[in-house]
Amino acid sequence: MRRLALALPLLAMTATAALAQTKVALVIDLPGDVATMDPHVQWDTDSYSVYRNIFDNLVTRDEIGKIVPQVAAARRYADVTTIVFDLRTDIVFHDGSKLTPEDVAFSVRRIINPAFKSPQLSQFDQIISAEVTGPAQVTLRTKTPYPALMAQLVKLSILSKAYVEKVGDQAFNQQTMGSGPFKLRSWQRGVQSNLEANDAHWRGRPSFRAVTFRAVLDIPTRIADLRTGRADITRGLTPDDAEALKGEKALQILSVPTERITYMFVNAQAGPTKDKQVRQAIAMAVDRESIITALNGGYAKPVNIVLTPANFGYLPDISGWPYDPTRAKVLLKEAGAEGATIQFLTSPAYDRRLNEAVRQMLGEIGLKVEIVMLDQPTYLRRRQGTPEEAGALSQGRWSCACQDADGVIFPLFRSGSIWSNFNNPEFDAAVDAARVVLDEGKRLAQYRRAFEVLGEEVPGIGLFQDYQIYLARKELKCTPTANEAYFVAEMKWPP
Amino acid sequence: MRHVAGRVGQAVIACFGVLTIVFFVMRLSGDPTLLLVPEGATAEQIGALRHELGFDRPLLVQYLAYLGDLVQFDLGDSLVQRAPVAGIVAERIPYTVTLAIGALLVALGLGIPAGIAMAVWRGTLVERALAAAVLAGQSLPTFWSGILLILYFGVYLGWLPTSGADSLSSLVMPSVALGALTMSTFARMTRVSVLDELSRDYVAAARARGLSRMAAVGRHVLRNAAIPVVTIAALEVGNLLAGAVIVETVFAWPGIGQLAIQSIAARDFLIVQAVVLFVSIVYIAMNLLADLAYAAIDPRIRLER
Repeated sequence: MRRLALALPLLAMTATAALAQTKVALVIDLPGDVATMDPHVQWDTDSYSVYRNIFDNLVTRDEIGKIVPQVAAARRYADVTTIVFDLRTDIVFHDGSKLTPEDVAFSVRRIINPAFKSPQLSQFDQIISAEVTGPAQVTLRTKTPYPALMAQLVKLSILSKAYVEKVGDQAFNQQTMGSGPFKLRSWQRGVQSNLEANDAHWRGRPSFRAVTFRAVLDIPTRIADLRTGRADITRGLTPDDAEALKGEKALQILSVPTERITYMFVNAQAGPTKDKQVRQAIAMAVDRESIITALNGGYAKPVNIVLTPANFGYLPDISGWPYDPTRAKVLLKEAGAEGATIQFLTSPAYDRRLNEAVRQMLGEIGLKVEIVMLDQPTYLRRRQGTPEEAGALSQGRWSCACQDADGVIFPLFRSGSIWSNFNNPEFDAAVDAARVVLDEGKRLAQYRRAFEVLGEEVPGIGLFQDYQIYLARKELKCTPTANEAYFVAEMKWPP
Repeated sequence: MRHVAGRVGQAVIACFGVLTIVFFVMRLSGDPTLLLVPEGATAEQIGALRHELGFDRPLLVQYLAYLGDLVQFDLGDSLVQRAPVAGIVAERIPYTVTLAIGALLVALGLGIPAGIAMAVWRGTLVERALAAAVLAGQSLPTFWSGILLILYFGVYLGWLPTSGADSLSSLVMPSVALGALTMSTFARMTRVSVLDELSRDYVAAARARGLSRMAAVGRHVLRNAAIPVVTIAALEVGNLLAGAVIVETVFAWPGIGQLAIQSIAARDFLIVQAVVLFVSIVYIAMNLLADLAYAAIDPRIRLER
């Protein structure tokens, strides 16, 4: 009850702000709670949405997804494994101390330190050292030439070495402090996080004076919050919600193609789908356009490969397998697999309707599909287990948060990866090579080779690029980005 | 005393049973390590985490270690949030207790008068109307009635906040949604109990002395009819905790029910385990309390063998 009493003045403040002419306090309803305020620990979308406003990162992405400087003003390769960053000198942390190269080196070393056990370690473990090499300079070294480095560094928040060492990791996670456009005022775990504007930010005063992130799990409740003005923006709407809300005058629907792909894994190592022709027939039997119209209400974009256009390495000109059920039937007949029964593994984490649609489409070409609904741990165990237990098909959604093909097709199809039931030396050579060459043209050539193999062999079928659907108050000016972040400093509320 | 000791002993055994069942159910679907690693993890990283968490040890060894930790009240650290589980759960308990009290007030405040009215005006239109309301309270699922409440009182009328836990008015709708089922239980129990008492001779005697029907109910019947209702109240607290999972999710009320759902979504294994344990133990404790209260009110129970 004391907590309730403490929260009362806060509510009054938010309510008053809502009534004022120009909005000073923004309220964001998140579908979940912040797991950690320490940006080197969790990177789920809800945690990221909040702490990304509290910190500056080495580099960031602009509205169109291009990597642009943030703490690093400039960068250059000294050699293929050595990258020199020249840092801005006008950044101060919320406690007034200057952001120095030591802070940058400390932040890199902290996240790559195996003892710290960051869940993000696998994204940064190609970095082997971070050294201060000048009054405003830091040099990173990677194990091998590592082209995805910049894409990964977009997620690296810069912490204050002095502050983290003073308060310790556990307290830092509770009362975090950075140099970003907003500072943390209070965090009620599971309830809400309150941030206030950092007027000393190097990019200038943010237009909102305060922002509250609330954890509201249920979609209808979030919509009700938006309709009553209790919140100003939220995400995670379904296409049906978006359709139903189109007539609401006070609200706007915003949507953005993300880097998340919905795909189907096809078992190339066991069962009827061991035959390449069967896999190709399945790829031709799936009508993506119908799925997107009927199930996604148009909020998705068909893809020809297992990658989205938001990722580096996407090749729009690879033909893929356009919808052709007649040819699919012929192929299936040639393979002698007509009337075969195949298993389609899924878990409650995925859209059941998609399974049903695919079952019907494959039924039309003569395959009997048995949908196997599993709990998530069993699903993962079978999916990552031996080819014999992995089922013929399984549904998946994948996002590497790095917008690079390396984070998608390497873990999904490289032999030896836990997700892969595919073993093709040519594909392996191509993705291995694309991993260690910096030249973008040469990388694209390797990915072209890789996607040509995937196209021929069909160990997976890209279905569509997922959209994120936002609901916002009409007055709010905001451009959602492919990485699903909320950058409050970029948002405006014109009077 | 023998009665009390026996009941407490049974409760302890039940607690032990719950601890064991929770342990094995959580591991029924296999190795939880796979849920905890990020999507891109390699087989080595999964193996390292499995070893660190001890999931590679024989199940019996894991079970004994788990019991050992619980004896020391050590629920472990949340892997996701990097904070002690006990603290995370404890922060949420006051919210759920507040909500349960709110729901119990709704249930008692509406359910008992409704029950009395249904008994006193038996066979009339009043009883039929109330019976319909009670039936509705009993049969409407909270995930639906909650949304209807939000739409009507929050969005349409604008009287109450649509979500959150930042003022007393936020408590109203979740309490009504959560209390509805319990309210119906109380109404039905009270009705039966009052009807039972109304047919007794002492009521006829009181009426013969010239007492009005309402006076007879108020002065004599209610006291006797209260015994079963009091014991039901204690049992209902357990049901309220279970119902809180849905109600808290719908109304964004940050209690342990919402914590359970959030932790399932975040795959925060140890928190889910702690919440299940907490709810089960409260349930057992409330049953024990009901037993003891019943014995305290009615001496015949204590004396039975």
